[in-house]
Amino acid sequence: MLYKTNIPLLRLFCPIRSKNKVIFNIGLIFLVSLSSLSVFSQSPSDALLMPSKNICVLVSYESGNFNQYWEGNYLRKNASIGTLSRKTITTMAAIGINKDLNAYISLPYIKTASSEPNGGHFAGAKGLQDITIAFKYRTIEKTLDSGDLSLFTTLSFATPSSNYLSDYMPYSIGLGTSEFGIREIAKFQFKNGFYAQAMVGYFWRGYTKAERDYYYNNGSFYSNIMDVPNAWNFEGALGVWLIDNRLKLEASYIGIRSTSGDNIRAYNAPQPTNRVNIDRIALSAQYYFKGIKGLGVLAYHNNVVNGLNTGKFSNSGLGLTYQFNYAKNINAEPNEK
Amino acid sequence: MQNQMKSKKYIKSLLFAIGILSISCEKDIPTNLSYEEYEFSTVDENGGNWKPILIENGSALIIESPDNVDSDTYKNEVSKLKEVIASIQPNQQKAINYWTNNPLVRWNEITLELIAKYNLIPGPNEDGSYTLPNANNPEGPPVFPFAHPPYASRALAYLSVAQYDGLISAWHYKYLFNRAAPYHYDNSIVHAYPENNIPSYPSDGAVIARVSKKILSAMFPLEVAYLQELEDDHLQSLLHSGSYVESDISAGTTIGDKISEIALTRAATDGMKKAQTNKAVSDSIKAAAFERFGWQWENLEIPVRPVGLTPLFGKVTPWNIENIVSVRPVAPPKFDSAEFIEDVAILKNHANNMTTEKRRISNFWQDGTGTYTPPGHWNRFANEFIVEYRMNPLRSARTMAYLNMAMMDAGISCWDTKYYYHYPRPIQMIEGFKTIAGTPNFPSYTSGHSVFSAAGAEVLAYIFPEKTTLVRGWAEEAAISRVYGGLHWTFDAKIGTEQGKKIAQFAIDKAKLDGSD
Repeated sequence: MLYKTNIPLLRLFCPIRSKNKVIFNIGLIFLVSLSSLSVFSQSPSDALLMPSKNICVLVSYESGNFNQYWEGNYLRKNASIGTLSRKTITTMAAIGINKDLNAYISLPYIKTASSEPNGGHFAGAKGLQDITIAFKYRTIEKTLDSGDLSLFTTLSFATPSSNYLSDYMPYSIGLGTSEFGIREIAKFQFKNGFYAQAMVGYFWRGYTKAERDYYYNNGSFYSNIMDVPNAWNFEGALGVWLIDNRLKLEASYIGIRSTSGDNIRAYNAPQPTNRVNIDRIALSAQYYFKGIKGLGVLAYHNNVVNGLNTGKFSNSGLGLTYQFNYAKNINAEPNEK
Repeated sequence: MQNQMKSKKYIKSLLFAIGILSISCEKDIPTNLSYEEYEFSTVDENGGNWKPILIENGSALIIESPDNVDSDTYKNEVSKLKEVIASIQPNQQKAINYWTNNPLVRWNEITLELIAKYNLIPGPNEDGSYTLPNANNPEGPPVFPFAHPPYASRALAYLSVAQYDGLISAWHYKYLFNRAAPYHYDNSIVHAYPENNIPSYPSDGAVIARVSKKILSAMFPLEVAYLQELEDDHLQSLLHSGSYVESDISAGTTIGDKISEIALTRAATDGMKKAQTNKAVSDSIKAAAFERFGWQWENLEIPVRPVGLTPLFGKVTPWNIENIVSVRPVAPPKFDSAEFIEDVAILKNHANNMTTEKRRISNFWQDGTGTYTPPGHWNRFANEFIVEYRMNPLRSARTMAYLNMAMMDAGISCWDTKYYYHYPRPIQMIEGFKTIAGTPNFPSYTSGHSVFSAAGAEVLAYIFPEKTTLVRGWAEEAAISRVYGGLHWTFDAKIGTEQGKKIAQFAIDKAKLDGSD
């Protein structure tokens, strides 16, 4: 039996074994915490699990930029910023603990800058962003006549791994706060290789520390502590497995809705207290090599199509994945019978 | 089925854990200075003899004599007061606690908040042009005012000076008529604030409320309704506090009206209206500097702002300096001088070797758009000291008046210097130079932060001698913060600090003679 797609929902990126079937699946950087400004503001939101005793590592590079942003809901062009670019290198590992439970750890390095010429002459920022640790647990798995239904719960925790300054927007590399997330993921895998997935998540964010002790957030705040709004996260994806389940193509929508926060004020800098809404559409492709066991590549592109207090980002990324069995010290056997 | 059971239990315990987590993490972030009513360290019974700023003396503003405490009129007022106090609602109690017996600090905070609200630089229009805020069309867009540092320093100065003169008048009549607080005549009156022997006619709180509303309404015309609400709330709380009867309060608002009119008359003719020039005037100022020195500051924004910020703020009438040009510092270094070349190296070195500490200092003192500005930062310190030293409203007003006159004069002198020399910013002179803070829309020399801060620190050091080392250290840090941020040359900061000290001395010399020491 060849690679039978099992639960290839959103973005997992490694060969996956579930029950007796192993699949190759790819994902994006889903472990970049939601607090990241990156469009990958998702966390382990896919509906896939690693086989037990397998580790998958991902290294990816993403280039994103915007030359317009929403100030409240007004789309502004700001030549003092020019085109703001954000380059991200993410390393991540997914670990199969048992057949129903995976652990994840990820850490992105981010660099931001303005294009030249720009009117602001601001220095960009760079550094290690937030370290994320997540656990994904399969709560339900059901085989129906038309396909397989699975439900997952993911718990994630992210926290800054360096002392980067969040209150340096739009150049800051993250929100500078710890974030606790829960996601519920449902996936339906049709027998013909197509799949559909839906996810809803909620993220509790803590406080971030500014280097000033007064700021305005619809009124005075005499503190260096800024409350970063909590957020809902929604996702819907449709995908298909092709070429003997070696190629996965997926289209998705991702939504983020802050539950509180203020608007960016007229021609003023954003700040971590802002209410951020994002609507993003994405396309991705993942391919697992036939000749080289455990190796895969992924490519993706996504655009923020609508938002509130966020950049109109366009992002493209490339990644390499490699999966192996840490117990046997060999590559996972992808076509187990 | 078993699977479902398992997952349900799991979700339940999870939600419980999250609940605990979110409750335990909630914080109250302070939105104002946390203080309660307090016992004043002095009552200053001679305060009515202190020398005011705008009026001749404490008796210059006329109010009626109060009714005698034995009169039926007064007795009626007292019984009415008791009825009102008997039916105080929880939100009215909250107002009593909020305003306290030193509401001057609260009104200062309200001012700082309005400054932060209006301290937004207008962005470009779609066609690349810029529209300036217009006092005759405050709704804009852009809204009026743009409460930048010079605007802020001036708003604070008029507010504080009017409050101070109003309170000197109030103190004059308090001790002239000696009508005590109603609770001294009827001990069944519940009073909210610590007992004192400062007479209640006229109410000092009412002077502060009326002056603050009137001055701030002129400075922030879109906030008239909001300020009226605040004044109403404050005046009501004065009655509810048990410290004043109605006629104490109305005598206070009468003084408030009179001194506000005098202050706003000065404001209308102090030259601020002309401070933001058109492009032709701005260009001629720039050309004059180029003619004199061979350099000129350029705005580097995209699209270019055609006019710098308030080129003629240097011509606004100062409070305590006769001749503003007499305090103008010497010219900054020429570009081929060793001093300038060395400074370029210093700026590059800071930019290339940014440390957490330098970044922190730059950000702590940045006080840029959207904040209460550097003058606002020094008012915040003053508010904290006033509470710490348990100053009464009159002494608080004196502190604020001299602090804010000195800082407005500092701003005037600094702007005179900036547009006379029209000296370029580091980003204009150093190829590829990047900053960690926004470069302002006005010439470099001297640094506004340095001049404002040194002037503020010197006045606070005079009034709170124990704080001298502390505040001078802060002023030095505020000055160097602009060099760390990449916005200023070291000589902008160093000479600016000397300039600020010099200017403060004019205010301090005057304060020393006002009869309060």
